[in-house]
Amino acid sequence: MTLSTETLAGLVRPDSVHKSVYTDPRIFELEMQRIYGQAWIYVGHESQVPATGDYHTTRIGDQDVLMVRAADGQVHVLYNRCPHKGAQVVAEGDGCAGKFFRCPYHAWTFKLDGTHLAAPMKKGFEGTCYDPAHPDFSMRRLARVESYRGFVFASQAADGPDLKAFLGGVATSIDNLCDRSPVGEVEVTGGVFRVLQESNWKVFYENLHDTMHARVTHESSVVAAREEAKEIGEMPFELLIMDGNGEPYEFWEKLELRAYPNGHGYMEGIFDPAAATRDPVSRAHFEALSQVHGEERARAILGMNRHNTVIYGSGSPHTVFQQFRVIRPLAVNRTMVEIQVFRLKGAPEQVFDRALTYANVINSPSSNVMPDDVEVYRRCQEGNGTRGGEWVSLHRYLGTDKALDEGWVSTNGTSELPMRNQFAAWRDYMLAEGSAAQAGAKNEEKNHAAA
Amino acid sequence: MQLLDRNFDVSVAPVAGAELSGEALRGVERFLFDEAQLLDERRFSEWLALWTEHGRYWVPRFHGQANPFEQISLFWEDAMLREVRVRRLENARNWSQQPPTRTARVVGNIAVQGLDAAGHLIVRSVFQLTEWRKAQRQLAGAAFHKLAATEAGGWQIVLKRVDLVNCDDVHGNLEVFI
Repeated sequence: MTLSTETLAGLVRPDSVHKSVYTDPRIFELEMQRIYGQAWIYVGHESQVPATGDYHTTRIGDQDVLMVRAADGQVHVLYNRCPHKGAQVVAEGDGCAGKFFRCPYHAWTFKLDGTHLAAPMKKGFEGTCYDPAHPDFSMRRLARVESYRGFVFASQAADGPDLKAFLGGVATSIDNLCDRSPVGEVEVTGGVFRVLQESNWKVFYENLHDTMHARVTHESSVVAAREEAKEIGEMPFELLIMDGNGEPYEFWEKLELRAYPNGHGYMEGIFDPAAATRDPVSRAHFEALSQVHGEERARAILGMNRHNTVIYGSGSPHTVFQQFRVIRPLAVNRTMVEIQVFRLKGAPEQVFDRALTYANVINSPSSNVMPDDVEVYRRCQEGNGTRGGEWVSLHRYLGTDKALDEGWVSTNGTSELPMRNQFAAWRDYMLAEGSAAQAGAKNEEKNHAAA
Repeated sequence: MQLLDRNFDVSVAPVAGAELSGEALRGVERFLFDEAQLLDERRFSEWLALWTEHGRYWVPRFHGQANPFEQISLFWEDAMLREVRVRRLENARNWSQQPPTRTARVVGNIAVQGLDAAGHLIVRSVFQLTEWRKAQRQLAGAAFHKLAATEAGGWQIVLKRVDLVNCDDVHGNLEVFI
């Protein structure tokens, strides 16, 4: 059974969504076409492929792709598929292909931009339609690839807004992350965590700006951190970042939530790293930036204290703690999160140490904070599988959010504006006719019919 | 002491040999078996007491990882962070520990490697760990313990490095100590 436009349109109300958006595998499949087949999706950072032939594999929606650095320095994004028998050309992970790709099955070779180089024993193709110049014999590139300050995004759709227009108001989060480096550049270093959540991908996006959950869901880690701080008589950074979730409701109410087109948004910072009892880091960082930009600009850069940013479909960059939590849907009820840590080039070493510690304490699979999130996401997944009700509520502070020139801002930090904004974008994507992946499939059908 | 103190000697390569009597060796083995039992029985407070003041618990993210200072780690915990973990595991509102993680581990292939620069005994063992919480999960790997001799003739942990065979895999939450 296919899902009609009317059915899909009826799943999102201004104040609620139908639970099937989290549980129905058919909807997940459609999302892979209409959202992940259309939107700009973060592939990785250019620093992950520093040298010619370096590649990094990941997923764009349900597609295995690789990002590779060609000899001319350009970064390409290709489907990880050999056009001969369909084998994945490179193994999962990071590596270097050398001067060209070579399929391990029958030694077909491809330039680093995916174009066909050679296949062995060419005489076997004589008199056939085999044509090295025809795209059918090359590794296919994703329709569009663009980089914003080293952050590589790809779109599977040939048409659509450019990356900068797509990012809109959240491009400033990427800017701020880069500007925190005295030379304006960051690099992925220190490794990437990969964590599994047994829940639908959208739940995590919603939670990133869900200020009402923090003190409830995270009570165990908040209490543990506070008890420990009391016992040792100080609140070092490692405990401060667990303690922050325990702020009272009044604190969260005062925060500002921003929502932008395409489901994006960000929220204000919830803790000031300089508040830790032993934090010489912020001072050293400020001095390094001041030397380059002067104190006023340095203050402006470090004063932009944002907590989670949402780039819908890609994940969540965090400017202050120099990371990008990349959200990769695996199935309707399974999501993988890749947590990348960035070094700010030219910044004092302690700044990276702080980011490394934040990632280890908060984002590692061993985090004391995350398991309670992952548990409640899983409970949503299970609960929405019951016949106990049809709708998921997004009512909080509906009708009070203020429209801006671009996007919206909450008047209360506990507003469910971010969720409503994400589902408004979701609805637009899902109702759009002729998204690229669909158009591609239709053309293929036509071609076969003609043949 | 800072968490990322680069002076902490994380090396598990011996710089000198160690000669242990049969009885001393049995003492080391018993120490590791007792540690495994405390973890399997969730007697975390007693487990915390096995450590030196500055002892570090380390589960690298990468095979052959040289140190926890340049790269992320699955665990890199000092006494404070170990205590926080135990406090959370024992908090009544630890939603992700309902039901709790249950474990059973087999420790074997215990072999004394030698001494580190400070004279701590380096012991390698191999473990198979079955974990259950909602579903069963198998963990396996090698553990390196650096042990300091106590005046009472026992041992304390200076460093425990756990090299998981799948340290570079996609992981669900790792809530309890390995």
